[in-house]
Amino acid sequence: MKTKNAHSQSNILVRFFSSVKLAVFLFIILAITSIIGTILPQGESLQFYLENYGPFYFKIIKTLQLYDTYHAWWYLALMGLFSVNLIVCTIKRLPYTMRLFKRDYLDLGKDALLNRPFKAQWQIAQKTNPADLKEEIKKSFLALVGKARMKQDVDGGQLYLAEKGRWNYWGVYLIHVSILIIFAGAVFGTFTGFKGRVMLLEGESTDHAVQMDAHGNIKKIPLGFTLKCNDFQVDFYPNGAPKLFKSDLSILENGQEVLKRSIVVNSPLTYKGVTFYQSSYQSVPDLKIRIVSSDGEQKILDLSAFDKGLWPKKRILIGIIKYLPNVHGAPAARIYVGDVSGNQGDAIWLLKGHDREVRVGRDTYRLSLISAKEKFMTGLQVKKDPGVWIVWLGCTIMIIGFGIVFWVGHRRTWLWIGQDGDKLNIILAGQTNKNKVSFEKEFNKIKEAINKQIGEQ
Amino acid sequence: MHLSSSYILSLTTFVYLGATAIYLLYWIFRLEKVGILGTVITVVGFAMQTVGIGLRWYESYQLGYGHAPLSNLYESLVFFSWVTILVYLVVEFKTKNRVIGAFATPFACLAMAYASFSPNVQDTIQPLIPALQSNWLIAHVITCFLGYASFAVACGFGIMYLIRGDSRKSTSYLLEALPSRRVLDELMHQTIIFGFLWLTVGIITGAVWANQAWGTYWSWDPKETWSLITWFVYATALHARFVRGWAGKKIAYLSIIGFVSVIFTYFGVNFLLSGLHSYGSS
Ligand code: HEM
Repeated sequence: MKTKNAHSQSNILVRFFSSVKLAVFLFIILAITSIIGTILPQGESLQFYLENYGPFYFKIIKTLQLYDTYHAWWYLALMGLFSVNLIVCTIKRLPYTMRLFKRDYLDLGKDALLNRPFKAQWQIAQKTNPADLKEEIKKSFLALVGKARMKQDVDGGQLYLAEKGRWNYWGVYLIHVSILIIFAGAVFGTFTGFKGRVMLLEGESTDHAVQMDAHGNIKKIPLGFTLKCNDFQVDFYPNGAPKLFKSDLSILENGQEVLKRSIVVNSPLTYKGVTFYQSSYQSVPDLKIRIVSSDGEQKILDLSAFDKGLWPKKRILIGIIKYLPNVHGAPAARIYVGDVSGNQGDAIWLLKGHDREVRVGRDTYRLSLISAKEKFMTGLQVKKDPGVWIVWLGCTIMIIGFGIVFWVGHRRTWLWIGQDGDKLNIILAGQTNKNKVSFEKEFNKIKEAINKQIGEQ
Repeated sequence: MHLSSSYILSLTTFVYLGATAIYLLYWIFRLEKVGILGTVITVVGFAMQTVGIGLRWYESYQLGYGHAPLSNLYESLVFFSWVTILVYLVVEFKTKNRVIGAFATPFACLAMAYASFSPNVQDTIQPLIPALQSNWLIAHVITCFLGYASFAVACGFGIMYLIRGDSRKSTSYLLEALPSRRVLDELMHQTIIFGFLWLTVGIITGAVWANQAWGTYWSWDPKETWSLITWFVYATALHARFVRGWAGKKIAYLSIIGFVSVIFTYFGVNFLLSGLHSYGSS
């Protein structure tokens, strides 16, 4: 009793997880819930949602992780359920499909032919030579269907079968399995790869990429080699639209250059499984500033976007806040000038050709912008994804599966010729699992050809 | 510039409008000659449009940009209209039923009217920004729009299915001319699988392109997500026939809902949401 119960329970589970009803339900739920992430901004800070949507919706957003909908626990659970659905359904249908695939469709009786979806029957009182008529009908059948197999003595007659596209049954399997392969590739890639960024000034090099997580924490990922940016180039069309972003890169191992290549958008560089994509650029100022103190001493400081200039003797620190390459025809920069302790200081706009004075503590300093150049900094997306080939494999299988499902139908056309008392009995039958409309046309053509043969006698 | 590509293309709008009107007349009066005229006008419009697209391609080379005319909203609308007519002509050739024309050509006509006359759509030829300089872009656009066009025709079948009604009950003179529900169901199914196939290839080529340009084959940007939503709707339509009680009318509704989702993927995302694909809004 107990085992029987357990058995029927597992049956219910299998039925549930293999049902197309569940698949359709999941399609609809996934379609509807996927809309959320296209309307609600994704990946913002929790603070953002609290401020913009109020405490009530904030609670919902936080609980259901709607700030990252497509990685939320319930969305992943739906995807998981979807995969289980596919696996169970595929396994459960396998024996059934195998039977369909292996069945001998010549192994049919006369009556079974009359139960096919397409059929026609003729009964002809024999006046003239029946052997000739049989031959003619057989010939016109074969002329239209191509190759056919034949079996003698089927209910006292001959049975012909023309069959095409048995493979069709496996097309759907290829599609369904390919989805699982793509999922597997995506999951594998997520756990074995990484994604990060690199920003490099011309001439600069690095041995790690930088990754920022959802909370703004920065993580360094070692590359295992050194990447150097030799040069960056940007071109524009006459109308001002960007035409080309190009970085000249070198790969160095133990200080030795092992590879040199330039990359552009859509043409990345891959080395040891790590791929570098051209994704952005920045132009950063490179300034020379003369600073003269009230006692007449002076110093020239080099400033770039991220390096502060220091005048140790006077304990003065200067830095760039903002840079504009062209203000009334001259470069201009907003400069912070202060003492190293950070207690006193001021920010001023400095225009090339116009000196400015600034007070720091008790002293006054005179600043002038001597030269301003722009240096480029290339922005690269860095990615390692060992799963991507599994994904492409899945995609290829899926496309092949679709081709089979759409273009190959399992078409069967039977012709039975026999005697029924003193009458010549002819049955034409047909069946297809795909594209019935066009099959019907072919079937009717055969029917007409036979009609014609009979009419001519 | 006389006889520019955009001039020829805007003319095809009227040719397709004419074709729609003639197909409607054919549906009402059922005169064989009127039906043939409808086909002739459609083929002429298609030829004109082909010339227009070819000319636009040539013009882009003359401007020094040199790219296939598949790179902005205007060009994609023209291409959508062109493929819709192509798919329809194939269906007409296969089914020999011209009444379908009254339900398919309007999509091509509307797309051309929107492309040519809406102030939201610019018909100037623009140079390709770096992200769009890829052969995958061409494969992506062509396959997606083959899908979209098939779905437009499938939507036409869905509408026909719903107004056709049950053929066992007495039907009116107009409805009699439509193919039977059985045939419409079959045509709708075939067209949806065909569209689904191309939409899938379109999503995949888009993923390959994104992977090459940005290093991520799937980034859940709104346009990608909406194409996935559309994909789910049609997957529902394909599987509904295997669920008891879901065949027939429900699939016809799904075929219409699916096309609404296509339109949203195509326009709604550009105008209402933001993302990587926003180039389409220019
Ligand atoms: C996104 C995922 C899926 C896609 C793209 C997909 C695609 C397809 C396609 C194209 C067909 C052929 C339809 C036809 O020939 O009329 C099909 C059939 C089918 N699918 Fe799916 N499918 C998916 C998921 C599922 C799931 C989760 C199940 C689970 C039950 C399922 C069960 C079936 C069944 C039972 C058939 C009928 C097979 C037959 O013709 O004998 N599918 N699917």
